[in-house]
Amino acid sequence: MKKETVQSMTLLKLKNSVAQIKLRNEPYLKINIVLAGVILLIMAYSGIFSPEKDNYPVVCIHEKITGEPCVSCGISHSFSLILRGRVDEAYQWNRYGMRVFLFFAGQLILRIIFSFLYSRYTTTSKQLILFDIVGSSVLFLVTFMPFLTYIFKYC
Amino acid sequence: MEEVKNNSGQNLGIAALITAILTFVLAVIPCVGLIAIIPGIVAIVLGSVALSQANRDNSPHGVALAGLIIGIIAIMISFSQIFVARKIANHADKWPKQIENIVNDVQDNVMKDLEDANISIKVESNGDTVKIVTTPDKRNKEQTLEDLEKGNSTVNDTVKVKK
Repeated sequence: MKKETVQSMTLLKLKNSVAQIKLRNEPYLKINIVLAGVILLIMAYSGIFSPEKDNYPVVCIHEKITGEPCVSCGISHSFSLILRGRVDEAYQWNRYGMRVFLFFAGQLILRIIFSFLYSRYTTTSKQLILFDIVGSSVLFLVTFMPFLTYIFKYC
Repeated sequence: MEEVKNNSGQNLGIAALITAILTFVLAVIPCVGLIAIIPGIVAIVLGSVALSQANRDNSPHGVALAGLIIGIIAIMISFSQIFVARKIANHADKWPKQIENIVNDVQDNVMKDLEDANISIKVESNGDTVKIVTTPDKRNKEQTLEDLEKGNSTVNDTVKVKK
């Protein structure tokens, strides 16, 4: 019984060290982990600061310069309200808030799924990365198209 | 020893790529687009250093190059926000003047229409009819008004004092 426990412990340590070596040599996994962390931080930011207190530290620089509200104004409020389940109010604050929130939430899930698939199916890793780049770029463009249109309208 | 050097270059490349991706996302959001210039510069610096290290050590430089390219595109989008802000600010300066001009134009048009208008008011009550007609003869009206004012001013302005 004791021998089996020692063996299983050794196996676990070996697995951990293999995983560490893998992670050290895989930039894709590192990037996925960091991006997932950043998305979680965004969610935490939206959760910590409440729309009632209106204590958001980030203000719209665009509005400060021009005096006119921009297309992304109210997106922090919108995120916070979506996290609290008040979707109707979120739409009132920013009509693109839900779209952007879904993009970030989707990316968080995709980072986890792609990391899992990447470490599981090593033979198709290049195809997976390519698929991820193309898919995420398309999603990004679809999500942020109103913002890009707004920027390039004045350029 | 050589492996460590390669890893450090790769780590810088990863840092550059992550910073560049975040800069790109920030740059397309108009509210924080201008802030993205700072991480954009960081991404370009990191990418350049990682690329030079990778070239020196003959190690893979795809990640560093991707970070550098995305960083440059992101910083260009971020810089474009300055022009956007300037254009909107210029427009915003002109808006009050334009509104004032429109209001003045409308006021002038209404006054002109009223001056040139033939106004006819007809009131009928118990078989009696009262009809008031005004003509656009502005000069005559002004003269009549002046005459009335001159003629009545001495009468109206004098107050008799009883002793």
